[in-house]
Amino acid sequence: MNARTLATLLTLALSLLAGCTSRSREVVVYTSVDQVVSEPILRDFEKQSGLTVRAVFDTEETKSTGVLNRLVAEAAHPQADVFWSGDPVRPFVLIKRGLVAPYESPNASGIPSSFRASDGSWTGFAARVRVLLVNKNRVPASELPYSIRDLADPRWKGATAIANPLFGTTTMHVAALFATWGDEQGRAFLKSLKDNQARIASSNGEVKRLVASGEVAFGVADTDDAQEALSEHAPIEVVFPDQDGIGTLVMPTTVSLMRGSPHPEGGKKLIDFLLRPEVERRLAGTAAHVPLRSDVQTPPGVKRAGDFKAMQVDYSRVADEMERMQPWLKGWVGL
Amino acid sequence: MLVAAGTVLVLAALLPLLSLVTELSATGRAALAVLRGPRPWELFLRSTGLSALVTAGALVVGVPLGVLIARSDLPGRRMLWLLHLFPLFLPPFVLALGWFHLFGRTGLLGTEATARTLFGGAGVFWVLWLAFTPVCTSLVSLSLLGLDASLEEAARLVGTPARVASRILAPAASPAIALSAIVVFALTISELAVPMFLRVDVFPAAVFARLGGIDYAPGEAFALALPLVPLSLLLLFFERRFVGPRSFAVAGLRGMSRDPLPLGPWRPVATLAAWSLGLVSLAPLLVLLVRATRGGGLQELPRWVGRAPWTSLLSGAVAATVIATLGLVLGHAAARRSRGATALDALSMLAFVTPAPILGVGLIAVWNRSWTQAVYASLTILVVGYVARYTVVGVRAVSSVVLQSPLHFEESAAVAGARFSRRLARVVLPLNLRGVIGGWLLAFVFCLRDLETAVLFYPAGREPLTVRLFTLEANGPPSVVAALAVAQVTLTGAVLALGVLALRRSAR
Repeated sequence: MNARTLATLLTLALSLLAGCTSRSREVVVYTSVDQVVSEPILRDFEKQSGLTVRAVFDTEETKSTGVLNRLVAEAAHPQADVFWSGDPVRPFVLIKRGLVAPYESPNASGIPSSFRASDGSWTGFAARVRVLLVNKNRVPASELPYSIRDLADPRWKGATAIANPLFGTTTMHVAALFATWGDEQGRAFLKSLKDNQARIASSNGEVKRLVASGEVAFGVADTDDAQEALSEHAPIEVVFPDQDGIGTLVMPTTVSLMRGSPHPEGGKKLIDFLLRPEVERRLAGTAAHVPLRSDVQTPPGVKRAGDFKAMQVDYSRVADEMERMQPWLKGWVGL
Repeated sequence: MLVAAGTVLVLAALLPLLSLVTELSATGRAALAVLRGPRPWELFLRSTGLSALVTAGALVVGVPLGVLIARSDLPGRRMLWLLHLFPLFLPPFVLALGWFHLFGRTGLLGTEATARTLFGGAGVFWVLWLAFTPVCTSLVSLSLLGLDASLEEAARLVGTPARVASRILAPAASPAIALSAIVVFALTISELAVPMFLRVDVFPAAVFARLGGIDYAPGEAFALALPLVPLSLLLLFFERRFVGPRSFAVAGLRGMSRDPLPLGPWRPVATLAAWSLGLVSLAPLLVLLVRATRGGGLQELPRWVGRAPWTSLLSGAVAATVIATLGLVLGHAAARRSRGATALDALSMLAFVTPAPILGVGLIAVWNRSWTQAVYASLTILVVGYVARYTVVGVRAVSSVVLQSPLHFEESAAVAGARFSRRLARVVLPLNLRGVIGGWLLAFVFCLRDLETAVLFYPAGREPLTVRLFTLEANGPPSVVAALAVAQVTLTGAVLALGVLALRRSAR
């Protein structure tokens, strides 16, 4: 092979590479919803709309923050049209930076107003809920924990788990607790977790594994983790905590249209699709997500938003809290 | 040409790092405050200790095994070499996944105790030691295969095989041993996915966490990575001091043309030990195949694999070609000690040992601009990232073979009036073609196995296979994840097989 052949081949390859740049018949979505759940839905959208979906998924360890930070890093030249977030507070990080464009989808009308922004900057749908996963072999039915505070109960010293609060839904959960209890109680609770030698897992998935294996007696994770454990026939009991207190945290997945996105019309079509009741029903079936609409059918074992006492939180305030407490939280984690 | 190659390397590797220096200076003390706490230093020490342990373990096993493979009468030593070497070309994360399916709680041989051991420091050491020991084995073997036969033959007239091995072969292989130690240390300290998967906090994971937290803080992440700079410089110094201009062989330069050293009564023991290690290296791959087959993952594979293999192949092949071209120019310059070559060589090494997430954020900062969208929004950004991280592979592969080729051909061509580019294309390249192809192949498989670099900036919908595997690992069906791992293994195996064929053809 001489230099000219090599140069020709390289030029051809580079053209192939560059040929993969954005085209008009596509939509780009960044999502922190589990790939195994979100990808089939995005494929169905492709079939129905004729648009090609290009997606960026999160890794488990940086769930909800990896793609979020990529959106922030790319702010000067947005690549994404839609951010499909696994929780309702990350979009506020983008909203505050002016990275989100308002869009009120006609399909959002059936969703309660507390789960969507009045200006259309975010719309919530199928939700996850923070629950306690309890290993039935280690905890007798009469001693089931019933509150999030039980994680710090000395009776369970060294036998509880929570995911790293710098990532994923645990960040939001801790921020919601701080917003509800106030700083002093929030910090005291986290300190008591450390004193109680609670395991700080790398992710909710790891909490599930620790509880399922009996390495810890119980831990806090999300409803989709609980469903996975149950489908793997793990000896797990699922407890919706604080039903006689502050209530259980509900975390809708949300969609937002990105400002200055390369394919805004495609982005709107995708948002309309995701906000259909069929998608909520499907997420209830495949990932035990709780539908926010009262008329969406759920499979056995999956509750609707009105079936339990939900923690009353202002997601915008929780988002503020989440950013404010980061330095302290990093110190708590040890970074 | 050196200027052009240097410019490509600077664009790919130096600018991203400089952009983070700018970020660091903008955030100033706040960013540096991240180093005040004890935790980052604790993690740094842990990572350094882990890397030292893996390196020591790899040397203890890899050096004698390299001698056995290259110069002994061990039965089936070529096959053993292939078995032992292959896992090196796979993402260590895939191997960890295989061990998980073997020794995890629900694994084929899993118990509570094996799972506890695997998910901890011992597990990380085990996976990385098995993954990286072939670096030592192979570099030692290759250096011995390239050794001047007369030295060994003279020694064998007066000494026992053991004495020949310890007094002639081992000292002759010392540059290769030193280089393998550096490579294993660098690979271990920059490894992110295996410790994350096996739930062990390490320094690169802390840097990654700084980028993955709710408050995006690239300046802080860069500040956190600063302790790695003196470590990189130390590695460079070590390499210059103990490897530097000395020659050592690379893939397939010489044949096993001499009579092997007889192992005598030690032959059965050595055979058992060496083959056990080779088979153990393969165990996780076989387990992945079983897991993928049993759970129906292989049938589901077409649904989940997408275009990821094509993305891996295309971006990897183009990147490897660019790297081999840079390697030819820069590697030749480094071997011939041209002006500026040492600095560029050092830059390529620095980019290799810098935590990949740092490089990734720098690449976003440099390339996500309105006038560079053709690069950033396409697979080209993957090529840029791979070139930034793995140019060192091409440079080292080529410089090592150029060191072994005679200078007088180039001098004659120069006297005859051939310009530098012509000498490079008509003299250096043909003389060192096998080394360049070897470098290309090595760079290609390094790109194929990359996860940490690409995961931060891969273009939407164009993820390489390793990234797809990693994002599906936590929540995807285990048999499908195992099937994706098998696809990665198959892809790498196919590329290696084709590469070896190309190497053989070039030898004719």
